Amino acid sequence: MNDTQLPIWEVFHQEKRGASHVHVGAVHASDEEMALQMAKEQFARRQECVSLWVVREEHVVKTNYDVPFFFARNTDKEYREVYGFPAPLKGKHRE
Amino acid sequence: MNKNEAIQTYLLALADDELILGHRDAEWTGHAPLIEEDIAFSNIAQDEIGHAQALLRIYESLGGNDPDTMGFLRDADEFTCCHFVQMPKGDWAYTIVRQFFFDAAEIIRLRYLKNSTYELIRELAAKIYPEEQYHLLHTQGNVERLGDATEESRRRMQRAVDEAFEQALGLFEKIPGEDVLIDEKIIPDSRTLEAEWLQFVTPVLKRSGLQSPVIETNGTVESNVEPLYGGRQKKHTEHLHKIIEDMQKVYRMIPGAKW
Amino acid sequence: MDVRERTYEEKITEFEARIARGEKIEPGDWMPDEYRKQLIRMIGQHAHSEIVGMLPEGKWIPHAPGFRRKLTLIAKVQDEAGHGQLLYRAAETLGKSREEMLEELLEGKAKYSNVFNYPTPTWADVGMIGWLVDGAAVVNQRMIAKSSYGPYARAMKRICFEESFHIKQGQDLLIKMVYGTEEQKQMAQDALNRWWHPTLMMLGMPDSDSPHLEKLKRWGVKVKTNDELRQEFIDLVVPQLKSVGLNPPDDNLYYDEKTGHWHFTEPDYNELKRVIKGDGPCNKERMEARRKAHEEGRWVRQALAVAKHKREAPAV
Repeated sequence: MNDTQLPIWEVFHQEKRGASHVHVGAVHASDEEMALQMAKEQFARRQECVSLWVVREEHVVKTNYDVPFFFARNTDKEYREVYGFPAPLKGKHRE
Repeated sequence: MNKNEAIQTYLLALADDELILGHRDAEWTGHAPLIEEDIAFSNIAQDEIGHAQALLRIYESLGGNDPDTMGFLRDADEFTCCHFVQMPKGDWAYTIVRQFFFDAAEIIRLRYLKNSTYELIRELAAKIYPEEQYHLLHTQGNVERLGDATEESRRRMQRAVDEAFEQALGLFEKIPGEDVLIDEKIIPDSRTLEAEWLQFVTPVLKRSGLQSPVIETNGTVESNVEPLYGGRQKKHTEHLHKIIEDMQKVYRMIPGAKW
Repeated sequence: MDVRERTYEEKITEFEARIARGEKIEPGDWMPDEYRKQLIRMIGQHAHSEIVGMLPEGKWIPHAPGFRRKLTLIAKVQDEAGHGQLLYRAAETLGKSREEMLEELLEGKAKYSNVFNYPTPTWADVGMIGWLVDGAAVVNQRMIAKSSYGPYARAMKRICFEESFHIKQGQDLLIKMVYGTEEQKQMAQDALNRWWHPTLMMLGMPDSDSPHLEKLKRWGVKVKTNDELRQEFIDLVVPQLKSVGLNPPDDNLYYDEKTGHWHFTEPDYNELKRVIKGDGPCNKERMEARRKAHEEGRWVRQALAVAKHKREAPAV
C-alpha cells in the first residue's frame, strides 16, 4: 500500500472570544498551515469561529481510561466544594 | 457606449468569468485528491458562483435581466468570459495553477474596485475581497508546495504553467467600453492590472521552482507570450458551448417552468 | 495500577455494565474484539456511503437549474464529503487508518449503502435523494447519536444537523416541481417511484434476518432494530409526501388506526442482498469513478507529503 492520506491533526475550535477552545475533530493535512485551512473548511463552514488550534495527533498526551486510581476521589472531599458549606448569606448592600 | 452600458458590459464580463470558472471548479466536487480538498475546493466553487450572482444583481439593478435569466437563458455566444475559464479542468496541477492565476488577478482588480467611484461596485468589491484573499492563501500555498515537491509534481505543475500562462493573460483583454469607466475612476485599466499581475505571480512561481514565460528587466516584468484573447469579443472555444449546454439543460427543458 | 491483570470475564462485565448505565465507550477503553470489529465495519460502511453518495447527486451539479439550486447542490455534496471525513476519523480512533479503509473500498472488499447504486436519470432524483434517502439516513443517524461509542455518537450530532438542511433542500426542490407544470409533477412522481423501494431497503435487512441483532443491542451499537427504524421512517415521510400530492408506489399503504402506524409492503430484500454484493445497476460505475479520483489524486498526496513548507510571508 503506497498511498498516504497525510498526517492527522486534532482540531480545537473557539466559537467566540471569551469561550474555550473545544475539541471538534481532526483533519488530514500536509503541514500546520494546510491543517489550519482544512480545519476552517471542515469545522468553521457553518459554525461561528474566531480561532482554531491544530496539533499533530501524536503530540496529544492522554490519560488512560484503564488506570482508575488517577482520577480517584473516593474519600470525603466536601471541604473543597461549595456544597460542603452552609447556604450563602443574604445581606443587603447597605442599610 | 454610454456610461451605464459600459458598466453593465464590465459587470457581465466579470460575472461570466466567475460563473464559468465556478462551474469548472465544481467538477472536482466528489473527485478531489483528498477528502479535505473536496471540501475546500467546493467552497471556492461556491464563492465564485456566488460572486457571479452578486455582480449580476448589480447588472439587474441597472435595468438588465435577473441573474438566472442571464446565467441560464443566455446563449453561449452572448457570454463575454475569457477563454481561460472555459478550458477543461485538466489535472489537479492545471486546476491549482489556473485558480491561483485567477485569484491573483481578482485580488489585484478588487484592490482597485474597493476604491471605485461607483458605490455599488465599491461595496460589492469590499465584500468579495476577503473571500478572494482566502482563495489566494489556499491556491498559492498549493502552488508553492506542489511546484517542486516530487519529480512528477514539478513536471505537472510546469506543464500547467506553460499551458495556463497565455490563457490567463486573457483575463486582461480589454472589455468594450472600458475607457469611459477608467476616466471616471470607476475601474482600473486592464493594462495596469496585467502589469501588476505579472509582478505578483512571477516571484511566486520562481519561489516554487517553476519557470514562467516572462522577461525581467530592472524590476519590471513583461510577458513573453501572446495572450489568448477573444472572449470579451464574444468569440469562444467549443468548450464554452458545451458548458452552456450542460448548465442550461434543465432550466430550459420545459418552457415556462420554474425550478 | 492494578497488580493483577483483570480477567476477560471481569472486563466484559465492566464493559457491559458501563453501557447499561448509559455511559459511552471511548477510544483507549478496553472493548471486546467483536465490538471493535462491528463498529469499524459499520462506521467504515457509513463513511464509504457518504463518499460514494457524492456521485449520483454530484452528477447533477453542472445541470442544476439556476444560481440558488446550483449553489445549494454544491454545498450539499460538499457536506457529504464532510460527513465522510468525520466518519473515517471516528473509525480511525478504533485503530484502522483511512488509507486501509479506502483501499478496502476500492478493492471491492468493503460495502456501502445500496441506495447509491441506483441511477439518477432526472433532476427530480436529486430532490428525492434529499427527501427520502437523507430522511431515512437521519432516522438511522439519530439512533446512532445515542449509541455507545463516543466518537461515532459525537460525529452523528453534527451530521444530523446538516442532514436536516439536506432534507429541506430536497423537499423545496420537489415542491417547486409538484406545483409546477404537469411534466414537472410527473417527473417528481416518477422519481418517487424509483426511490421508494431502494430507500426502504437502505434501512437494512429485516430483524428476522439480522443474526447479530441481540448482541449489537446489548452493546448499544444499535439502539433500535432495522424494522423499528423502517416503520419510524414510513410514519414520518408518508404524510409529508401525501400532503403535496405525491404517492408512494405501494397499493397496500394505509394508516392503521389500531397500531397508529402506516402499514406498508416490505421491499424485496433479495434485491438488497444483490445490490450490496455488488450487482446493482450502478455499482461498477461508482467504483470506477472513485478509483479514478483516487489514482489521479495519488501524485498530489505523495507530493504534499514531502513538500517543503516555505512561505516567506503571508500571501495577502
